[in-house]
Amino acid sequence: MSRLPGSACPAGSMRRRAARPRGRRPAAIAALALASGLALAGCAAGPIAQDTPVSNGQSFVSGNSGTTVFRPGAGPVAPTVTGTALTGAKLSLATYHGDVVVMNFWGSWCTPCREEAPALAQLARQFRASGVRFVGVDIRDSPANAEAFMHDFGIQYPSLNDPGDEIALDFRSTVPPAGIPTTLVIARSGRVTARVIGGTTYDGLKQLITQAAAEPS
Amino acid sequence: MTGLRVPPGAKHPGQQAAPELGQQAAQRPGPPAEAPDERPAAAGRSPFGTAGWLRWAWRQLTSMRTALILLFLLAVASVPGSVLPQQGIDPQSVQQYYVSHPSLAPLLARLSLFNVFAAPWFAAIYLLLFLSLAGCVVPRTFRLARSARALPPPAPRNLARLPQSARHETGLAPGEALDAAAALLSARRFRLRTGDGWLSAEKGYRREVGNLLFHLALLGLLGAVALGGLFGYKADRLLVAGSSFANTVTALDEFHPGRAVSAADLQPFSITLNRFTASYVTSGALRGQPSAFHAYISYSAEPGSPVRPYDLRVNHPLNVDGVKVFLIGHGYAPVFKVTDGTGQVVFNQAVPFIAVQQTGLTSEGVVKVPDASPQQLGFAGVFLPSAVDVGGQLESVFPAPDNPRVSLVAYAGNLGENTGPSQSVYQLNTAGLRKLPIAPRPLAPGQSMKLPDGDGTLTFTGYQQWVSLAITYDPGTLPALIAGMAALAGLLLSFFVRRRRMFVRAYPGADGATVVDVAGLVRTDAGGGFEEEFDGLAEAVRSAHDGHGVTAPAAALAGTDNPARTDPEGE
Repeated sequence: MSRLPGSACPAGSMRRRAARPRGRRPAAIAALALASGLALAGCAAGPIAQDTPVSNGQSFVSGNSGTTVFRPGAGPVAPTVTGTALTGAKLSLATYHGDVVVMNFWGSWCTPCREEAPALAQLARQFRASGVRFVGVDIRDSPANAEAFMHDFGIQYPSLNDPGDEIALDFRSTVPPAGIPTTLVIARSGRVTARVIGGTTYDGLKQLITQAAAEPS
Repeated sequence: MTGLRVPPGAKHPGQQAAPELGQQAAQRPGPPAEAPDERPAAAGRSPFGTAGWLRWAWRQLTSMRTALILLFLLAVASVPGSVLPQQGIDPQSVQQYYVSHPSLAPLLARLSLFNVFAAPWFAAIYLLLFLSLAGCVVPRTFRLARSARALPPPAPRNLARLPQSARHETGLAPGEALDAAAALLSARRFRLRTGDGWLSAEKGYRREVGNLLFHLALLGLLGAVALGGLFGYKADRLLVAGSSFANTVTALDEFHPGRAVSAADLQPFSITLNRFTASYVTSGALRGQPSAFHAYISYSAEPGSPVRPYDLRVNHPLNVDGVKVFLIGHGYAPVFKVTDGTGQVVFNQAVPFIAVQQTGLTSEGVVKVPDASPQQLGFAGVFLPSAVDVGGQLESVFPAPDNPRVSLVAYAGNLGENTGPSQSVYQLNTAGLRKLPIAPRPLAPGQSMKLPDGDGTLTFTGYQQWVSLAITYDPGTLPALIAGMAALAGLLLSFFVRRRRMFVRAYPGADGATVVDVAGLVRTDAGGGFEEEFDGLAEAVRSAHDGHGVTAPAAALAGTDNPARTDPEGE
């Protein structure tokens, strides 16, 4: 059976459509919704992708820079982290409960980490008296390399050695470090108040620390 | 006709045009002579306004002709993607094209012809195609669901005009003849409709089901691809033997997420590379070719779950938590210890070197020591697994580490790592560095190289092997498989199932016997074969009638041995 050229897709449907326009509408709407949903799958990156890190072709993932600040009391609770410091001593985040903790994920081979290291060292010294504790988590460095880095920049706060990325895994459900460097500011209550992906600056981090210190425990 | 008061010649809304000699008679009544605004048929429908144009556009888009044109355009548009070099696949060839066609190349680039499959016009074609497909198939599916219980049309008046027809006579009363025919056809799974003196039967609805299944499966395939593109990701990681990593963004070398993937969505497995062995062919024409790779790993699906061993080989990926981990490559990572001018050990790590030559796996790499005092140090050189002196120069003649040597050039100064853009860990930026005046000497494991001016010492302490792993997660592969199989099933159904109709009319004939007309019609008969089926059915109907009585009505009145027969002649 031949079809009229230019007729709608099923034969005879033209007449059926004229006979039942109402019934066609929900079906057409459903079709349009399905088709536009598929079309949008190819759209440019929207707000979903803004937090998503991408590789920069330099053989490590540096993450889209950005600071995420949580409302006081609304941030996720930081997990209990235990690890081995570079000195070999066992270190646990639980010992710092009640203090503001700044956690910095770094590597000696990473340029933004080296760029922010002086600011971190200075802030650590500056805020030590107020009870703000800095803890580093060293990624993909041997102890010798890490020690050399800390010595070079005058970093006196301890760093945990994380060769198996266990500490990064511990944080995966709260505020995952999305690239290197990442800095987390944890308030006295144990809740994360801010996360900085990418290098941080002296002024920026100082403001985040001050905000966190102002929160009650 | 049963309950249908349809004036002759008019088209019943439920009646297909098919019975009319099998030809399309779906002509709309021609437009009357009045102006469009005054047409009585147009009452309730506005003249072509915006809504009318949109409706017209939608109808054009979802028509079969448009879909075919778009499909053809898709094929034509893929041609430049195959003929011209593409940026994403072979950037070198694109550069080459620019050099050889300096005036034409920028024009082609403006038209996105070096990146055809990501070009906006290509995307427009396939998006329109699938929009057309969706807009056609989805309403049609609803219609099929509604008409799933629809009955066949009434039998035409004159069955002799159909393509297949037969006639015979029987002694049964018309009602009984129709009952017998109905029983026979119903046993053959025809859907029946009876009327006053006629019987309509239809079979083969599954053809439409198969057709729609095929097109819906295509939409499902697109959805599966979109699913993979949105929620899937690909990542790479280079792992030195003896070390481990977990699937977090900080641990990956390359990470290409789908649009809806964030750092928290990664499956939290960890892998430790215990040992990597590669075996090579040692003799014959294939000497030096690898014969097997084994990466002995231990993995755990998430922190706290038991650690399991696995032998990761090429094309035998690890399947953990829905993620596939493939063994992609391997190489050597010599271990260096660097002591700086102050006597401190400032570097002690395995440095992956990348193979530049496949025969002997000669590998190149750099060592960056940014925390050395008084100056930052950098080294660049080669690692030769089986070093042999060939004409005064060292070459690696076999990929196994039979005689490992390392030869490095030393630099001192500013590596450029403290500020500025991120650097690759495999490249040395010598802009701020000065080459140290020390002749590169091949070092055996354990040997050292003393730098001049008290800058320090480098010791080649040993070597490890590394593997590169590709981590892929694609949630759309299983749905795509199911959609593919459904498309094939639907296609087969729509090819092999024919929609056909049988009509039976029984009426009293001239000499008192009942004349039975049997006719058949097939909607599409590309493969043929309906004639045999019709002949078989007509024969079966005839024998069903023959078995029940003789041809003369007088014999029927005398009473035969058919207990189920009623006697309409006596009424």
